[in-house]
Amino acid sequence: MGRTIPLPMLILAVLGFCYMLLPILVVVLAGLTAGEFLTFPPEGLSLRWVVAFLQSEKYLSAFFFSFRLALLTMIVATILGTAAALFLSRTRFIGRGAMRAFFLSPVVLPGVVIGFSLFAFYISTGIGLTRTIWGLWIGHILYSTPYVIGTVGAALASYDVSLDEAARSLGASPMRTFRKITLPNISQGIQAGSIFAFIVSFGQFEVSLFLSAPNAEPLPIAMYNSLRYKFDPSAAAAGIFAIILVTASVLLTNRLVNIGRLLEKK
Amino acid sequence: MSSVEFQGVSKKFGGTVAVEKTDIAIEQGEFFSMLGPSGCGKSTTLRMLAGFIAPTTGRILVNGRDITDLPPEARGIGIVFQNYAIFPHMNVFDNIAFGLVERKQDKATIKRKVEATLAQVGLTGYEGRFERELSGGQKQRVALARVLVIEPEILLLDEPLSALDKQMREEMKFWIKDIQKSIGITTVYVTHDQSEALTMSDRIAVMNEGRMLQIGSPVDIYEKPSSRFIAEFIGDSNLLRASVTELTDTGCVVDLGEGVAVPARVSDAVSVAPGEPVGLLLRPEMVRLMPAHDGEKPRLSGKIVDEVYQGALRRYRVAAGTHELVVEVPNRPELVRMAAGTPVDLFWSAESGVAVP
Ligand SMILES: Nc1ncnc2c1ncn2[C@@H]1O[C@H](COP(=O)(O)OP(=O)(O)OP(=O)(O)O)[C@@H](O)[C@H]1O
Ligand SMILES: [Mg+2]
Repeated sequence: MGRTIPLPMLILAVLGFCYMLLPILVVVLAGLTAGEFLTFPPEGLSLRWVVAFLQSEKYLSAFFFSFRLALLTMIVATILGTAAALFLSRTRFIGRGAMRAFFLSPVVLPGVVIGFSLFAFYISTGIGLTRTIWGLWIGHILYSTPYVIGTVGAALASYDVSLDEAARSLGASPMRTFRKITLPNISQGIQAGSIFAFIVSFGQFEVSLFLSAPNAEPLPIAMYNSLRYKFDPSAAAAGIFAIILVTASVLLTNRLVNIGRLLEKK
Repeated sequence: MSSVEFQGVSKKFGGTVAVEKTDIAIEQGEFFSMLGPSGCGKSTTLRMLAGFIAPTTGRILVNGRDITDLPPEARGIGIVFQNYAIFPHMNVFDNIAFGLVERKQDKATIKRKVEATLAQVGLTGYEGRFERELSGGQKQRVALARVLVIEPEILLLDEPLSALDKQMREEMKFWIKDIQKSIGITTVYVTHDQSEALTMSDRIAVMNEGRMLQIGSPVDIYEKPSSRFIAEFIGDSNLLRASVTELTDTGCVVDLGEGVAVPARVSDAVSVAPGEPVGLLLRPEMVRLMPAHDGEKPRLSGKIVDEVYQGALRRYRVAAGTHELVVEVPNRPELVRMAAGTPVDLFWSAESGVAVP
């Protein structure tokens, strides 16, 4: 057994890893501080801010609101994104490339732009979505769906269409073919896309800033608002829970996917 | 009534014509091959029959029934793909059972039929395997079993052997032909390999650029090709420049230049006229090569250019006047070897030469 990665690459990889993990470490340690203010390094370790978070009506409701919002966003984004990816990969027409780029544009557009455009749209059309839960949900769906289109699109790109053709000529209708053949073979892409959608929605800040209703703030907005007035370590404690939730959802899905593999092998 | 009938079928993709107006009639139980170079429209023709592509013009009939507008699932046609298209998330049993499940047959019947088909293709005991646990040849068998188990009216095979190694290909060639014969199922086979087409088919359609150039038995196609393209595409060929001097009952007489006149046959599919320039097709194995000597008058005389050793054969290149041709000689010790420069005489029987326009 030899090392298969050249040493310089390995060093770079470790550095990159540290670079990505450091902010997380800072948040976790800051949330565990024993001091009165949000500082780093922390002034001694304690769970007092974690307890404060768990007792804070404002943070807890924001946390669970974000959770529900991300879950509902994930469901709609997964359905829309999968349908869009299928349409883009299965049809041939002039302007398909442009359409794909358009569908994926929310990934590259700054969130501020999307948030502001929707905000302006809601206000100018007066369709009653300005600063409502529904308006916020729509914004999150718009922002998350491209991630599903991306991952499902990648799964479909390597999908062998003759599998579908074989199923059709063996007697399966288009709908049955999709359910019994296509779907099981692109499910990994769909699952990856839906985790992405969940995480992206859960951490979304800019779109929420413009669209969230005053009585229903998602967690990032709640943290931002409280930090504006008070340098309160319970925001970092809230961050700890957000990190735990996201990590757990990734690990859980990973596990589910692998269990699926194992079951298949019998 | 033909088993499969194409009536004026053509296919255009945008501006490009993939298949030109085609009429074919394939008989019940026939093994019909479509042979041609890459991009000539073989797969397109097959896929129109399977229902994956709608023809631009024309009708397709199966056992007299017009299926042109039926979706693939309503056609009762089985197709085996080049890459087999085994469902990767199902084991061998479920793959083969798929068509039966779609036909809502009961569990016991499905089990019985799948097992019988597995035995037929020699894969008993492989029920639980997945695609990634099968060799190329085994995948091929599963793909065929999956189709045969639903007892389709027509069997379609699109280059089913091209993903296998040479030895496996030889073996599967005969195996597929045997199964096809024993069931007596009408089969349309697509290939660009002439040896597959010659060995397996009852009839071959040679295609080029979307057109069926000649349809006939392997013997017809090989021994009386109707064009230069077919003569050169199938087997090795010598095409000598010639011109028709007169027509006869069996074909014609052609002039090879310098006063050499030889008889030649002509495909029924074409007609030639005196004075017309043609190619005289001589297969390398049909020509007899002898060191020059007095006696029987040769058809041509020339000199050996070089010799290539091929194990079972020796291939000689011979220059005869303005012509150059390749001659194959069986590698037997009693046949003398001829060095470059040796003067030689060339003989062939009257039936061996074919005039192709
Ligand atoms: N979906 C399509 N859209 C546009 N052109 C196509 C399509 N399918 C095939 N063609 C074109 O039609 C022609 C015939 O293609 P076809 O696949 O039938 O060839 P083939 O004889 O099967 O070749 P091969 O031996 O390489 O498989 C080709 O020029 C091909 O580029
Ligand atoms: Mg093809």
